[in-house]
Amino acid sequence: MNIHHPRERLIDDRPSDKAFHVSRDAFTDPDVFELEMTRVFEATWSFVGLETQIPRPHDYITTFIGRQPVLLMRDGEGRIGCFLNTCRHRATMVCPFKRGRQKFHVCRYHGWAYDSAGRNTAVTDKADGQYPAGFDQADRNLLPVARLESYRGLIFASLSADVPSLYDYLDDARTFIDLVADQSPVGQLEFVPGDITYTFDANWKLQFENGLDYYHFNSTHSSYVDILAQRARSGDATGFTTELADEVEGQGSFNFRNGHAVNWSIKKQVRYGRALASDPAGLAEVRSRVGDIRLKWMLRQRNLTIFPNLQIIDISSAQLRTWRPLAVDKTEMTSHCLAPVGESAEARRFRIRAYEDFFNPSGLATSDDNVMYEFCQTGYAARAGHTLGHLRGLDRGQGTRGDHARELGIAPIDDAFGGSGFGGETNFHPGYREWRRLLEGGAMEAADA
Amino acid sequence: MLDRGSPDRPSTASHCLADVERLLFVEAQHLDDKTWETWADLYLDDAHYWVPSWLDEYELVADPDTQVSYIYHTSRAQLRERIGRIQSRKSITALPLPRTLHVISNIVLTERDELSVDARSSWTTHVFDPRTRRQHLHFGTYEHRLVRNADSYRIARKKIVIMNDCIPTVVDFYSI
Ligand code: FES
Ligand SMILES: [Fe+2]
Repeated sequence: MNIHHPRERLIDDRPSDKAFHVSRDAFTDPDVFELEMTRVFEATWSFVGLETQIPRPHDYITTFIGRQPVLLMRDGEGRIGCFLNTCRHRATMVCPFKRGRQKFHVCRYHGWAYDSAGRNTAVTDKADGQYPAGFDQADRNLLPVARLESYRGLIFASLSADVPSLYDYLDDARTFIDLVADQSPVGQLEFVPGDITYTFDANWKLQFENGLDYYHFNSTHSSYVDILAQRARSGDATGFTTELADEVEGQGSFNFRNGHAVNWSIKKQVRYGRALASDPAGLAEVRSRVGDIRLKWMLRQRNLTIFPNLQIIDISSAQLRTWRPLAVDKTEMTSHCLAPVGESAEARRFRIRAYEDFFNPSGLATSDDNVMYEFCQTGYAARAGHTLGHLRGLDRGQGTRGDHARELGIAPIDDAFGGSGFGGETNFHPGYREWRRLLEGGAMEAADA
Repeated sequence: MLDRGSPDRPSTASHCLADVERLLFVEAQHLDDKTWETWADLYLDDAHYWVPSWLDEYELVADPDTQVSYIYHTSRAQLRERIGRIQSRKSITALPLPRTLHVISNIVLTERDELSVDARSSWTTHVFDPRTRRQHLHFGTYEHRLVRNADSYRIARKKIVIMNDCIPTVVDFYSI
């Protein structure tokens, strides 16, 4: 299948000319969406869950990779498997529940049974079935995904075997997962119970971009900014940082291989509290374990995007969100309050309240983002030529450089840093470059960063 | 034995169904009429306003301190914060504001004492968004705890359960 759009029409990426444009078609064309499903979501690593969601043998959850239903479960020995959630007999979804614990999954249509390792253990009335020769030798087990690996308890799966190891895939974005996981005295992350699922009528890439977009904060969230200011005036908010007096304030980002990026900000005065800082003993424990520099970075706002379907936001609380594109103009979001295992009850309470305050369709900030995506989707239908929304930060001559990567010991493929009004947009570029590479069939090409 | 009322005697010993019903209906009207300051006046200063999320297909969040809710407020001031955000028209969720229509029924009273009564009811809210021409329906149950003050009730607690919890884009105090 050939992509209908010449590549220069979907992404106009000319680093030597300091040009980067994303076509409106990338957000509106159903043919592009079809290719995204088969060549991006169903062909590279996707985040599927946390190991702590299925802690015991036979625990399971169900989710999707692209359009394909999957069943993630632990077998009797505690090994994690991920299988297409479809019966080998005639396709029925084997497990209809969100989560649970079962040694066996019995398909309700004709009763074939599978164990928690995905093995077919029973074919109903097999002896009477007059099956052709060779049926006994046929593979009747649930079909495992091509690749399944974890990093710091975050489980990723790929329906294509043609992917690098997860460790290599994540590249130095790993450090930004570490900065969340190491807030736990036992190095583990968990979801605070309580499911939040919502949809917006817009393309998934609006969420991808927004999670890396500092530029929108003061305008899109002006009503929330007002609330923060009001709370600060009434003394309700307790900011906490460990920034030194000579630290240069501003906004920055790191770009990594394979489409990932993170943006972060340095503020010497913060108008909101942090779960990590709400428990002095816990904070001291973390500092003794990770040192001053990593602790400082833990207390900086960090928005991490792991291409293509995961964002981890660590601000007053921590959110892990994933998305499932349903159509070119409809996206389903799943949002979790992400927490270090073992934090104090007080820190946990703070984390939950701060999460509810900001995130989700009921939160005072995310609800504005969701509506904004729909405004964008409507606007992208206009045939008004290319947009100018991926350019901030392209002129590095004006930027301020720092030693930010060096102190973390990471080697991003690109970085950016500017003042508090910088709102860089070059951190979208690696995601779009990886997106284009996959849309073109995964052919490797020289990354031209 | 608690008196749950009946068609011929729709009251508990100390609380009259008609009075409780009036408060619930007036609350709904204020939400739909966007007279939200007056709506918030129905709540006590330290009122709890709680919209739990679901743990799974069957079970609701039970403890807001260890589990995630959509909204968990423990004072009327937090309701006013939400109201102010929408009324400022700075929130894009209010550009334009949807029209809403609340319908409440199946009210059952459980008397706590002479001054206080719990009311469980069923609600639906029809939401129409003039921007997208989309309409949708939220539905669920309310659990009100009402406290009588002179001859009127005020709300000490309200728990809102949303049954259809895959939320289209936005949910806020006026649409549930
Ligand atoms: S489809 Fe599963 S047993 Fe027939
Ligand atoms: Fe936002």
